[in-house]
Amino acid sequence: MKEEADFMDCVEFNEIYHDLDRPGTSGFQFRERALAHAESCSSCGLLLTDGEALDFALRNLSQQNAGREAPGRVEAALLREFQASKVAGSRRRVRGQLAALGSAAAILIALGLGVQHRIASQPDKVTPQAANLATAPGADTSAMAGQHQAAASEADGDEYAKEFVPLPYADDPAALEGGAIVRVTLPRSALPSFGLPIRESDGTGRVFADLLVSEDGTPQAIRLVSDVNTNVNF
Amino acid sequence: MGDGLLLRRMIAGDEEAFTLLYRRRHPAIYRFALHMSGNVALAEDVTQEVFMTLIRDAKKFDPERGTLGGFLFGIARNHLRRRWEQERHSLPLPDGADELDSLLAASARVGRNGVSNGNGNGRGPFLLSRDEFTSLETVGRVRQAISTLPENYREVVILCELEEMSYEDAASALECPVGTVRSRLHRARALLVEKLHDSQPVRRASAVGE
Repeated sequence: MKEEADFMDCVEFNEIYHDLDRPGTSGFQFRERALAHAESCSSCGLLLTDGEALDFALRNLSQQNAGREAPGRVEAALLREFQASKVAGSRRRVRGQLAALGSAAAILIALGLGVQHRIASQPDKVTPQAANLATAPGADTSAMAGQHQAAASEADGDEYAKEFVPLPYADDPAALEGGAIVRVTLPRSALPSFGLPIRESDGTGRVFADLLVSEDGTPQAIRLVSDVNTNVNF
Repeated sequence: MGDGLLLRRMIAGDEEAFTLLYRRRHPAIYRFALHMSGNVALAEDVTQEVFMTLIRDAKKFDPERGTLGGFLFGIARNHLRRRWEQERHSLPLPDGADELDSLLAASARVGRNGVSNGNGNGRGPFLLSRDEFTSLETVGRVRQAISTLPENYREVVILCELEEMSYEDAASALECPVGTVRSRLHRARALLVEKLHDSQPVRRASAVGE
């Protein structure tokens, strides 16, 4: 029974005899059986001898070439390329940052021009409390993003803009991460265009406001600054 | 320090890490290109292009798909193919054209002058003696025989036999299944034995005559 299990025929031998010295292969696993078969079969014995001789020659060839490597000029050229790619990479980063700053500035300018246009095209209708009712400046942007919904006017209209009010085109401020708060001055007459109600009796003058600007430079929300004394008149 | 860590440092701009990685990995790439093409200048170019590609596209390496060595061999193989297409450089080992030829000629001289070739030893027609294979001349003949193998067979012999790569790593480099590597290697070895027999017509004839 054991002899039968150990038996290997020529077909099996041909399948594995190239791998007898290669760990992890079936040839390596059944090496002993293959060698036993080669001893009893002359044609497979010849194959095995040829295979061993070829292995030997290939090892010699491999050893002969073991020390061969590319000349130093290849390494030097690659190091120059590596240094150049580092410089190019940092230039790309600087260009990207400048582009982001530029686009942020352009958006702010466009917003300012839009506001100015509205002022020119609408009669002044401003509530007296418009400038008085905002919150203190300098609060954390992420906290403000979550609180923006509480902003617009309450029942009596006396208290509005205590929190940041999202601008009409803004992204979801709750998802806002990072960004900055930018202090601007606005004419009171421009407040309705940001969703801030005003009283008709107090539509003149300018107020301080904070713009919540996202990382890409887009204004996302606005709030008025609460202190009356921060109102400015030009 | 492992390849992965060196690669991360290299991507972060560490020149020393790149140098270490290059010195560790480039000899095998150079030898692969040299054996595949038989041309020293082309092997240098391909080695340089492989590492240029690594500098530019290191982030394309995915360790879950194979080793860095396999990744680099894959790039080398693609560059070689592109160069052959461009230059019609399909015949390896052009006569007298390169360093490999010189080495081959020197090996042959040594073999003729001082090392036994084992001719006429009475073995059968399909058997080469170990003495023959150990001679430098025979090593040169083995190199020549490898260079005339079809490309698919040549690359598995170089990777699995000369560079002692595992079937798995070779499969990763060649972008084919492990079974394909194994069957190509077995076929390539059989072809090599045939070619080596064919390159000894005198001995074979005398052996048959016996």
